[in-house]
Amino acid sequence: MSDTATTMFVQEARDLLEGLEDMLLDLEADPRPEKVDAVFRALHTIKGSGAMFGFDDLSQFTHHFEDAFDKVREGRLAVDGRLVDLSLRARDLMRSLLEDAEGARTREAEARAVLIRATADLTGPGTQADRATSAQAAAPPKEATRFDIFFRPAPDDLINGMRPDLLIEEIGALGPISVALDLGRVPPLDDLDPTRCWLGWHMSLTTSQGEDALRDVFIFADEAELTITPHTAMAAPEPDSPAPDDPAPARDAAVTRGGGSIRVESQRLDDMMDRLGELVIVQARLDQISRRIGDPMLETVVEEIDRLVTGLRDTTLSTRMLPIEMVFGKFRRVVRDLSGELEKTVALVTEGGETEIDKSVIDKLSEPLVHMIRNAIDHGIDDAETRRKAGKPAGGTVRLSATQEGGEVLITIADDGRGLDADAIRARAVERGLIEEAAVLSEAELHQLIFAPGFSTAKELTSISGRGVGMDAVKTTVDALRGQIQVASTAGRGTAITLRLPVSLAIIDGLLVRLGDAVYVIPLSSVEECVELDLAERHRESGRTMLQIRETLVPFLDLADIFNQPASTEPRRRVVIVRADGARLGLVVDDILGQNQTVIKTLSVFHRDVAGFAGATILGDGAVALILDVAVMIRTALEARDTPSVRLRRQAR
Amino acid sequence: MNGGARIAGTPASRSSEMLLLFSLSGETFGITVSNVSEVLDPIPPTEIPNADPFAAAVVNVRGAIVPLIDIRRRLRIRVTTEDGDTRIVVLDLPIGGVPTKIAMIADAVTKVIETDLGALEPIPELGARWPKKFVEGVARHDGDLVVLLDPQTLFDPDEPTAPDMQETTT
Repeated sequence: MSDTATTMFVQEARDLLEGLEDMLLDLEADPRPEKVDAVFRALHTIKGSGAMFGFDDLSQFTHHFEDAFDKVREGRLAVDGRLVDLSLRARDLMRSLLEDAEGARTREAEARAVLIRATADLTGPGTQADRATSAQAAAPPKEATRFDIFFRPAPDDLINGMRPDLLIEEIGALGPISVALDLGRVPPLDDLDPTRCWLGWHMSLTTSQGEDALRDVFIFADEAELTITPHTAMAAPEPDSPAPDDPAPARDAAVTRGGGSIRVESQRLDDMMDRLGELVIVQARLDQISRRIGDPMLETVVEEIDRLVTGLRDTTLSTRMLPIEMVFGKFRRVVRDLSGELEKTVALVTEGGETEIDKSVIDKLSEPLVHMIRNAIDHGIDDAETRRKAGKPAGGTVRLSATQEGGEVLITIADDGRGLDADAIRARAVERGLIEEAAVLSEAELHQLIFAPGFSTAKELTSISGRGVGMDAVKTTVDALRGQIQVASTAGRGTAITLRLPVSLAIIDGLLVRLGDAVYVIPLSSVEECVELDLAERHRESGRTMLQIRETLVPFLDLADIFNQPASTEPRRRVVIVRADGARLGLVVDDILGQNQTVIKTLSVFHRDVAGFAGATILGDGAVALILDVAVMIRTALEARDTPSVRLRRQAR
Repeated sequence: MNGGARIAGTPASRSSEMLLLFSLSGETFGITVSNVSEVLDPIPPTEIPNADPFAAAVVNVRGAIVPLIDIRRRLRIRVTTEDGDTRIVVLDLPIGGVPTKIAMIADAVTKVIETDLGALEPIPELGARWPKKFVEGVARHDGDLVVLLDPQTLFDPDEPTAPDMQETTT
């Protein structure tokens, strides 16, 4: 058996186990027969293919859970919290048996035995005996039916590791059987490729089992030809059996076969993205040259290339896009485990799981989201008693939702807990020396303090949230993804934390602005609007100059001041209103040049301590333009609010 | 526009080393050729506001964004504006274990010589205006003194910058 086939099995089993977790959680909420069947099928496939690929421990262990779910299928065991608990733990153990067969065998032998015993307790005596005999002993004997079965593996099945002999043996265990070999397709010896399968089998089986049980035997032979014809007068399918085309198998097939999709190493996608980045830059240069030359024939070709590159960019970006459901799925388990541990009833509601986001963003999102959910459950949601007194339902709700807004994906974690305590935050921030005692902060600014390093208002440390990595770790990750965090909280009503993340990391839409001779790029996602400086009314408020933008006052800074450059003498200047972390700031520039697609390149080690830049990009004319880091600019502006001249400070590493 | 010549060269033997000679404010400096990737005509720089004057700008070198470094800021040599034969020497150096491209400003690139590293002299105690740690030694060539620079210390990004030198504009 080739290594490739084994690798493929491991990958598919991983997907199945991933799906299994979801199915089990689904099952608890809604134990419909289709869902029980789906779990049973997943277990059966893992057991069957596991044995085929030499994962004997995995296969034998899985067998016990398959048994349990067989009982559920037959209606002899009810789905309850205990069963789901056990199954989830079993699923975790199966995962470690799959990943590290040798290590897990010795290390977790005991855990396995405990789980098997617990399952046996749950399912009653006789479970560990052969499934067929126990079923016969317990179930009222059904009338035996004769089935005609024809089975022909797909030509490649043998290469992929199928063992038809084992399948026939398995089906033979269901009842008396006669088997006839079909050699009709075997080619002449000269044309015979011995690695391919040409054989077929006619079987005639008499069994008390239903047609589903027969089909289950062949469940992972999904490319094979299979016909099962029930005989006698009772040829009609059993009325209580699920429809043969119920969605569960289709879903299995989608997971394992991908419905025409292929697996690609993510490194290759990264390489492709790099090349595309270069192409976008060169294309911008070509565009500029063509405009200078002004040859209509050249222009036509350049326009065509432009169109193609844009299409290529969209396609490449879309190959890297994954539905955010991929991370959301994991949190159902987190919430279930946590609410058990903290003895709080918490329901997780997810919305917008189909929203797509770049793979590199998704990879980094999981940890901060887990942390935020833990925080919401541990600190946000009170126990049932307190909640009842506050007139809320005893069980809390954590709502995880995602939507796309322009070039950004908004992920919101909202709880209906007690909300942030502004006074407690202020007191802790003063205690930690984060703010002056007399500092005047808006509510939004106070809320942002929970992301300061070392900040925690929990009275005592718990095993859940108090492990030293606070919300500042979340903030660091989100900053690194060039995202922003917004907090909305109402005392007694709950807290909603929204992460605004760019859809893609490699290419952003930028606003080109000019200051003197230099061109800078402002990420379009943080731009709210642009106004003429002369037309905006200026106000003074607590020593600061503010711009009146319609109804609200917005603080503003001259980019020339921030950059320590001589004051501009341009007569008509403009203000770009940017937003980050819930705060707004006006940046005064000489001119706004337009928008472009920008490939972000990081600055070298020599410029890592220069604050205010997220990176640099190469413009169409070959010049380098710096990309402003709006969040840092705003933070610096807020810190320096009382000093007359605002300069970006060099940050210590 | 970047019609610079690529300089190929490897040390001829263990004790002898190929040096690229360049001048800055009238002094002649040398750097081992194995660190040099190419020599280019001047490229319009993009200044980074509030950056250390040692690395005040970045330039586009064949699609890569490369820091433009003025080593006079570390060698404590006066920065004179010369309308001469300014060149950009592109170096490939491991910095913190990462291969890094650096663009270094030179008033002029003169030639490549072979020199015997065994014959290096320490810099004279008197009149050594540049900090010793950036210099490997002094070699003699055609009766002139060539200051051989130590790229590992000279381009160390964690090296604190010396107090500002007054710029002389003539």
